[in-house]
Amino acid sequence: MSSIADDPRLTAYALGELPEAERAEVEALLRDDPAARAALEETASLAGLLKEELRAEPGPRLSPDQRAAVVQRFEDERRIVPFYRRRAALWTAGGALAASLLGYLTFGTELTERRRPEALARLGSQSKMRDAGAPYRRVEPLTGAPRSEDFKSAPPPAAPSRPEESNAAPAPILGLPALKRKSEARGALKPDVRFSTSLPPAEDQVQLGLRGKLKESIELSRSSSPRSREPAVKPELRRFNPSPQDPSVDVPTLPERRQEALVHNPFRSAIDDPLSTFSIDVDTASYANVRRFLTHNTRPPLEQVRIEEMINYFSYDYAPPVEADRPFSSELEVTQCPWNIKNRLVRIGLKGRVVPEDQRPTTNLVFLLDVSGSMNSANKLPLVKEGLRQLVERLGENDRVAIVVYAGASGLVLPSTSCQEKSTILGALDRLSAGGSTNGGAGIQLAYQTAVANFIEGGVNRVVLATDGDFNVGLRRRSDLESLIQDRAKSGVFLTVLGFGRNGYNDGIMETLADKGNGNYAFIDNRAEAKKVLVDQLSGTLITIAKDVKIQVEFNPAKVASYRLIGYENRVMAAADFNDDRKDAGEIGAGHTVTALYEVVLRDPNAPLQTEDPRVDELKYQERKKLSQSPEMLTLKLRYKQPDGDTSSLLAFPLVDQQRSYNDATTDFKFAASVALFGMILRNSPHKGDGNLELVDELAQDGLGADAKGYRKEFRQLVQAAHRFVR
Amino acid sequence: MGQDDSTDKARWMRDLLDRFEVPLVRYTLKITGDLDRARDVVQEAFLRLCREPRERVEPRLPAWLFTVARNRALDVMKKEKRMKTIGDPGAVTSREPAPARRSEERESARMVLAALGSLPEAQREVIRLKFQNGLSYREIGEVTGHSVSNVGYLIHTAIQSLRRKVKHVS
Repeated sequence: MSSIADDPRLTAYALGELPEAERAEVEALLRDDPAARAALEETASLAGLLKEELRAEPGPRLSPDQRAAVVQRFEDERRIVPFYRRRAALWTAGGALAASLLGYLTFGTELTERRRPEALARLGSQSKMRDAGAPYRRVEPLTGAPRSEDFKSAPPPAAPSRPEESNAAPAPILGLPALKRKSEARGALKPDVRFSTSLPPAEDQVQLGLRGKLKESIELSRSSSPRSREPAVKPELRRFNPSPQDPSVDVPTLPERRQEALVHNPFRSAIDDPLSTFSIDVDTASYANVRRFLTHNTRPPLEQVRIEEMINYFSYDYAPPVEADRPFSSELEVTQCPWNIKNRLVRIGLKGRVVPEDQRPTTNLVFLLDVSGSMNSANKLPLVKEGLRQLVERLGENDRVAIVVYAGASGLVLPSTSCQEKSTILGALDRLSAGGSTNGGAGIQLAYQTAVANFIEGGVNRVVLATDGDFNVGLRRRSDLESLIQDRAKSGVFLTVLGFGRNGYNDGIMETLADKGNGNYAFIDNRAEAKKVLVDQLSGTLITIAKDVKIQVEFNPAKVASYRLIGYENRVMAAADFNDDRKDAGEIGAGHTVTALYEVVLRDPNAPLQTEDPRVDELKYQERKKLSQSPEMLTLKLRYKQPDGDTSSLLAFPLVDQQRSYNDATTDFKFAASVALFGMILRNSPHKGDGNLELVDELAQDGLGADAKGYRKEFRQLVQAAHRFVR
Repeated sequence: MGQDDSTDKARWMRDLLDRFEVPLVRYTLKITGDLDRARDVVQEAFLRLCREPRERVEPRLPAWLFTVARNRALDVMKKEKRMKTIGDPGAVTSREPAPARRSEERESARMVLAALGSLPEAQREVIRLKFQNGLSYREIGEVTGHSVSNVGYLIHTAIQSLRRKVKHVS
């Protein structure tokens, strides 16, 4: 009788592939057959070995172009929505009312779960809606962006002050484009003033539903509106706080219209929304990311283009603070808006205190390195090692470095070692190699533990995370990772996230980690960038001179009709959060510059203010708003904390517009404007006005300045590259 | 509802791309021997994925992707009349030993992977599909066109050879 040791059934059994019916027989045979049992064991262990080794085998990826093309096709496919066509059919079949009601009920249900009280409360005052109790607010569904063409150069038409009339917020829910059309048909287009970016469109839905306007909207839906650009909306209304990792807002639209699918900060009315609040950001990753795409002649994914990060990538000649106790200086400048010459462009510039290299506080660093198999390519782990090597070379003998890796297992590869033993540190770096799968969560814990264990009071304590974003953190959900980081940040250890390799893979996660971890996020695509971040700007990268830095601008409605914050969509905050010290915000590093731009529509001094519109009844329960006689256009307020502090300090600066023309603007301003416009074009922003790539280049040329390191010149080359896919 | 479906689909496809990009290129490369062609084939497979309704494809994943890639790769090779068997250098391990691994384990791992390269192509392919890409016998049958019992036989034979090689060493 031959042993089943040589029977394929035994192998199948070992691999769990034997059908149920045959198992009993094999088990019976095994009982009396030691040779077979031995074979079974060997097979099982061989199987385990094969699995482990083969899965760790490094594999090539698609080229970045190919990957991007595939992803692009996914995005395109998403826009072809059979559902919409079905809906359209319903309408033309006269089933519009049913369809709308269905849509209403769907979203209405969402609201019942979450926000109905707020929606109703909103009927009262506008400013409440932004302060709707949300914490540090990230990207929120936009109620509708592209209205700016109506007030590019003129103040918004007088409109009723009551929210219900003002349905400018085109609730562009796919099921009910009707509502949008309604507002268009009226022509009473206003800036998306009454509806901050934080309002989910469904709330407007509720409004209209409550007032029984559905029927009207359905009728209007049949009319074809010339201006029916479907604005961006997040159709997943089940999530009112969309996860920050995916700022791209999905918009199902008709296939022939490729619509922007993003949040673009809209114009807001100064009289209704005089306060603009946001957190500063010094991350630069988006620019390096965009650069990488463009260098490969690929259009960057729209959601990875973050204008503020692109602008902040460059260094500007802002004067550092003079006062010893001020962590940063700030300046304001106004000029003509180049893509909308009737408008003004305001620049806010902050400059962190410069800390000379030899005055850098004692530094305690823990490198947390992803050494999973995916890090194997030339532009990842080798580059990480190279960059960190250069960083270590710059450290002083009182500084310390530890190295934690995470891959198949997490491990402390190098305990915290004084820089008096640099060769030990460099040796440990050298010996790192990639392999295994990742488990970032355990690594993070270990890294922070190590940092805390070697904490230097009054010094720089930081975890430097280097990864390609492919971290299976072993935690069930991303939010767990975020909570973990946030918790760790309380220990006083800050975080720097360095992204490598893949074009923005998990870009959103890395940006979020940097935010939650009181840190910054840079993307390192080549040696030059490694040098920039880890050597030239080492102080900025490592030394935080102010944390939780928030900006609140109050616009003067006597001077300003409406304004628009360019970029910082992920950073917008509720007005009340400005004074709330519990709300987390961005950090400024030593020597960092932070720039924010506002496009401002001036109020026509002769036009009546909204509250004075004679067509509108005087309010019974409120006094007319009185406007100030001040010549100021705005006041900039800043709140910041010392790096180890818990209470914020306040600074305030007024700005009077001297009506300077574009020619008088500083070189840096021109360049920043160029980058902003480029970002807007790459994002298909509806607010780009008369801007195009030629203008971008012209501005860049004007703004070139000294450009010692050639970054601005490189930018111009990228602009050239973009001609391939941007009209 | 509808638009949620389409968003979910995009996400689902992204997820598949993230999970299977490397395994597919790695697998296809073994068929084409040429990285560029392998990449093209894999790209096409994903593009085809877009065109399929999700409900139809989802139950047949991941085998569906491997099948599409395999068929296309073989077409490409046929067209270019390069149907000769591509040598398989065996798998390559690239990492340093994790601290706990004993050196003899590492040694036999290396042996096995090198031995893989000496197996006949059909056996190599099913071994990779099973252990590297986690497909079941049935799925491997779908992808390769073998019957399930044939798959079982191939894997069994391959494992026997590999076992013998390992035994031979230690």
